[in-house]
Amino acid sequence: MRAVLATYLRELRAYFLSPLAYVVAFFFLAINGLLFGLMITQLAQPGAPSGPPMGYFFGSTWLILIVLGTILPMRLLSEELRSGSIEVLMTAPITEGQVVAGKYLAALSFFALLWLPTLGYAGILAHYGEVQWGPIAAGYLSVLLVGALFLAVGTFASAMTRSQLIAAVVTFAILIVLFLVGLLEQLATGEIWKNAFGYLDISAAMDELGKGVVDTRRLVFYVSLSWFFLFLTGRALEDRKWR
Amino acid sequence: MIEAQNLSRRYGDFTAVNDVSFAVGEGEILGLLGPNGAGKTTTIRMITGFLPPTGGRVTVGGTDLFEAPVKARRQIGYLPENVALYGEMRVGEYLAYRAGLEGMKRAEAKRACESAQERCLLTDVRNQVIGTLSKGYRQRVGLATAILHDPEVLVLDEPTVGLDPKQIIAIRELIRDLGRERTLILSTHILSEVELLCNRVLIIDKGRIVAEGTPESLRQSSRGASEIRVAFSGVDGATAEKSAEMSEALGALSGITAVAPGPEAGEFRLAAVTDADPRAEIFRLAVAKGWTLVELAQSKASLEDVFVRLTTNRPAEAAAIEEGAGPATDADTPDQPDEAADSAEEVVS
Repeated sequence: MRAVLATYLRELRAYFLSPLAYVVAFFFLAINGLLFGLMITQLAQPGAPSGPPMGYFFGSTWLILIVLGTILPMRLLSEELRSGSIEVLMTAPITEGQVVAGKYLAALSFFALLWLPTLGYAGILAHYGEVQWGPIAAGYLSVLLVGALFLAVGTFASAMTRSQLIAAVVTFAILIVLFLVGLLEQLATGEIWKNAFGYLDISAAMDELGKGVVDTRRLVFYVSLSWFFLFLTGRALEDRKWR
Repeated sequence: MIEAQNLSRRYGDFTAVNDVSFAVGEGEILGLLGPNGAGKTTTIRMITGFLPPTGGRVTVGGTDLFEAPVKARRQIGYLPENVALYGEMRVGEYLAYRAGLEGMKRAEAKRACESAQERCLLTDVRNQVIGTLSKGYRQRVGLATAILHDPEVLVLDEPTVGLDPKQIIAIRELIRDLGRERTLILSTHILSEVELLCNRVLIIDKGRIVAEGTPESLRQSSRGASEIRVAFSGVDGATAEKSAEMSEALGALSGITAVAPGPEAGEFRLAAVTDADPRAEIFRLAVAKGWTLVELAQSKASLEDVFVRLTTNRPAEAAAIEEGAGPATDADTPDQPDEAADSAEEVVS
């Protein structure tokens, strides 16, 4: 446990020591702020659709999530492989699984920290009007769950290559496919296919959660798929030793 | 303390290490010696648990390295050939992180870091960012990492490669110091390092152990007689007669098998049978004849000779290679690093 904690803290510190994290944080907050501002302006117009503003906000974050899922974890393992520090890491008394857990949790924590300032948007809304905190909490849950999945995919890709760039490209490709598969729901004809694709529909899931609908099937899906990718990451690390 | 049984490692079709077995006892300092590409690093990586062997097994203090990797690795401190550290961290931070990886509690970790910094002379740079450190300092950080958890076995892969002579001396002193209290395995291609530090040597070539023993016993096992260099003064080129007389007198001494004239008049190279030391007789001969002896030296077979003989292509293979080129280039490989090491020692004196 202590070894996981040590890995976690080091990795989290590494985020704050790298300029990339600040660039990401800057653009993340700038884009989200702009988006939120525009949305509020539009929603304030007469004839605008009704509904909770935060719900629309969460529904529009999928692209940002894909970008974060690509960039945040790309360094995690590929950098260790490139520099060779994997050698001193994997000869320490720590298992592959613990390394993956520590690094992944650090990425997830940094991701969560990025979202923390956006709570201010809800604060602003609460200051000027009535907000329902339930759907907002569900919205954050959706961001966290989808983020957890995307980061797991990124961590996996990072364990496959010593190049951060390749890790990022591979992650981006997998995430795009993951995202688009859900959109096939609209094209599918058979009942079964429609349901199957609907179950995979990330954008619909985020819309639902943003409106406060918490579907446990979705939760299970994200958690199990994240776990699956992390499991593959551990396997990829072990496999490297045999080549 | 650490035991390797029939270790083999293949990379695809290439066999890097082939059926290597050895055991290192407590407190022993074992040197792994071999030319570049002989399989030293692969062997080291297998006994530290970084690479699984494709055949055979390793136990550390009775624990199998691949059945209970975490427990076994706790007993090993490892300095890899290329010390890769996290460049963005400070020395102290990095060591604290490593202490955490070793599962140490906060107070224990603090104590361990301080003592490791002290031993590796890092106290002055503990607040420096690792990326700004010189190679020698990084090597010391690597060493500090290796001894942080006070392991029973210390494994060092080419610890002095890429350092300047002054740093080499400092690191060697540190290694000798560390070897007093624990089992140490050291891989190197620098012969003087082995003679200086190790009490047992394994010579590896092409993935196999080709010799094993103390540096002393290996040197003795070397075939080939010792050579003696003698020079007398006051012999001019003109007096060929005198030269011939000297040569004859020297050849008559017991234990001398051949006499060859040296490059200058009055200089001779004598071949002596193994274990013979005819220097005293040569001196008495010179006194009796009234010749002025200015040089008398016997060169013993060095570990280098053993090494070159064992790791150079066998005669049959050498013949297949183009005339002369084969053996010459082969002999070069162990020579060059040794010269570097020699110059390092000159700095001391």
